[in-house]
Amino acid sequence: MQRQVALIKQSLFDQGYLDEQFMELEELQDDVNPNFVEEVATLYFKDSARLINSIDQALERGSFDFNRLDNYMHQFKGSSSSIGASKVKTECTMFREYCRVGNAEGCLMTFQQVKKEHATLRKKLEHYFQLARQAGPKETARRSK
Amino acid sequence: MTVEQQDCVALDQFPVGMRVLAVDDDQTCLRILESLLHRCQYHVTTTNQAQKALELLRENKNKFDLVISDVDMPDMDGFKLLELVGLEMDLPVIMLSAHSDPKYVMKGVTHGACDYLLKPVRIEELKNIWQHVVRKNRGSNNGDKKDGSGNEGVANSDQNNGRANRKRKDQYNEDEDEERDDNDDPSSQKKPRVVWTVELHKKFVAAVNQLGFEKAMPKKILDLMNVEKLTRENVASHLQKFRLYLKRISGNQQAIMANSDLHFLQMSNGLDGFHHRPIPVGTGQFHGGAAAAGMRPFPPNGILGRLNTPSGMSGVRNLSSSPSSGMFLQNPTDLGKFHHVSSLPLNHIDGGNILQGLPMPLEFDQLQTNNNKSIIAGNSMAFPSFPTQQQSSLPNNNNHLVLEGHPQAPPSAFPGHQINKRLEHWSNAVSSSSSTLPPPGQNSNSLISHQFDASSSSYSIPFCDSTIPLNPALDHTNPRAFYRATDMDSSANVQPGVYYDSLQMRKSGNYGPTTDAMLSSNNPKEGFTVGQQKLQSGFMGGEAGSLDDIVNSTMKQEQSQGDLSEGDLGYGGFSSLRTCI
Repeated sequence: MQRQVALIKQSLFDQGYLDEQFMELEELQDDVNPNFVEEVATLYFKDSARLINSIDQALERGSFDFNRLDNYMHQFKGSSSSIGASKVKTECTMFREYCRVGNAEGCLMTFQQVKKEHATLRKKLEHYFQLARQAGPKETARRSK
Repeated sequence: MTVEQQDCVALDQFPVGMRVLAVDDDQTCLRILESLLHRCQYHVTTTNQAQKALELLRENKNKFDLVISDVDMPDMDGFKLLELVGLEMDLPVIMLSAHSDPKYVMKGVTHGACDYLLKPVRIEELKNIWQHVVRKNRGSNNGDKKDGSGNEGVANSDQNNGRANRKRKDQYNEDEDEERDDNDDPSSQKKPRVVWTVELHKKFVAAVNQLGFEKAMPKKILDLMNVEKLTRENVASHLQKFRLYLKRISGNQQAIMANSDLHFLQMSNGLDGFHHRPIPVGTGQFHGGAAAAGMRPFPPNGILGRLNTPSGMSGVRNLSSSPSSGMFLQNPTDLGKFHHVSSLPLNHIDGGNILQGLPMPLEFDQLQTNNNKSIIAGNSMAFPSFPTQQQSSLPNNNNHLVLEGHPQAPPSAFPGHQINKRLEHWSNAVSSSSSTLPPPGQNSNSLISHQFDASSSSYSIPFCDSTIPLNPALDHTNPRAFYRATDMDSSANVQPGVYYDSLQMRKSGNYGPTTDAMLSSNNPKEGFTVGQQKLQSGFMGGEAGSLDDIVNSTMKQEQSQGDLSEGDLGYGGFSSLRTCI
């Protein structure tokens, strides 16, 4: 089970969904914070969902206040990078680039990508955490093995 | 001080248990930050609202040792929080942001941040943040008690100045002692950093005046000053800076006026600063500008002070009006000398930055010209060159030229009538500004002083303080704005005596609303903008560059202009100045 979990995690890294930052978070997980990573990830998805909504609304309005959009995205990018959501971060950067040049269509297009990556990551992480929980903490895992 | 106590009490434990306040509106980042800090064994308090953070800090100033704050927060700008914390509590503040744009970093620096971290933040970076606490404590402990009041005060009021002076002096003494002890042979070893306190600078200026600006040679100055532990090199570099400063201020007189660089004021006061001097500078406008600038601390008072002197001198104008410019210009002849000084930098600076926003660019320009002339003692000057320099920045160039009329005119003959007038205005303006400075009514003062603190504990003479973003006021929008007064934005930061900045600023040519970076840079970019908020805003910006760069560039210009530097100074010696700083 542990191995499976490890494999899944590895694939997430390999596929570029996650980067070193995620590993840093894992380092922070310890006895005091046994589910730190999952907690942080949950926080992230909650926050980012809110941000995505805001951006969606702004885009739907069609007014294209690039400054505002950029601000949202900046925030979004910040938290994404904090948990190591690599692909999401990349898409965010592209989005901001489009904002910078005032390309509305580009923004719309990229934002779809952002949402897609975000949703994908969410699913994968949820799956990963689920397995990890089942596998149990390392110590217990060993025991259960 | 709490920190002090903490240090004493838990010497062996520190930095373990250091109390950190983390502020970030992003819950994810905050959580991660909290964890990271815990991992570093700090004691962490978190909040996602800047207002709440301020409350926590205010309720007990000694409750925290360090603050880490995000830049983009919905309820309050991170830089604003930074300023407030620095001013009110004088705690080290570290900025955190996903923005890696240098201008933000610059803004952080100018607003007094101890450090600027990029998100995602890593634990390695947090492991050493305790050094900022220690550093701040050391700075405070040197002089007055650490509460930042000493530093902050400087800009704010005489009282502050007094403290600041004391502090500087203490620091100077301390530094000197320490450094001297370390270096037996200054010439062969790394020279100890000399802190040019007000007292010391006064002596320096007196010596220069006595010798005559043009004739002032480091060795002679050194002898006259009769200060132990001061080397010829120290004096040489200081003289160099001073000259540049004068040049700069001649151009920036207006700006200076606006600035409430208490430091300089003090200096100038001591020197018989320009306060008394009527500053001809387009008074009306200038005043307005100055007043408006509030405290835009144009290069710290010091500069103002200096300006006075140089202005007095350079412009000859002052000759009549203010005899004592405190600085060199003790007598008209000196002034004459000053005039000649081609202050490329001055003009340049003025042209670029200060004037831009200034209502009286023209005047200023003129002043500059005059100043330049006068300031650059001994130069046959390059008046002609002057205009060229200015050209870059200002439209004034024309004026400049006009004024110059006879750039070559003997120093004493400043084209100066105008200049004189201007000086008068300027001094008036300055006086008014200076008076207003202490209580800028905004945070500017506090900011300024704060900045001083922030940048470096000692802001003894700006010359030495390269690190201190003396120009709080400078940055209009820049982080530099120590003053942070909102209006300060554009005007140059009033850095006490940061003439270096001005030099640099000029150099970089950011005169215009360049980047905050410039302002924020160490260079005490004088508050060229002193009131010109618009001007300055950009100015300080990125170019801030290093003092060296500016100086060097300035130097080159100067050199081309004429023979600005005296024998041993040589402009090329800016780097040496640097060391001084």
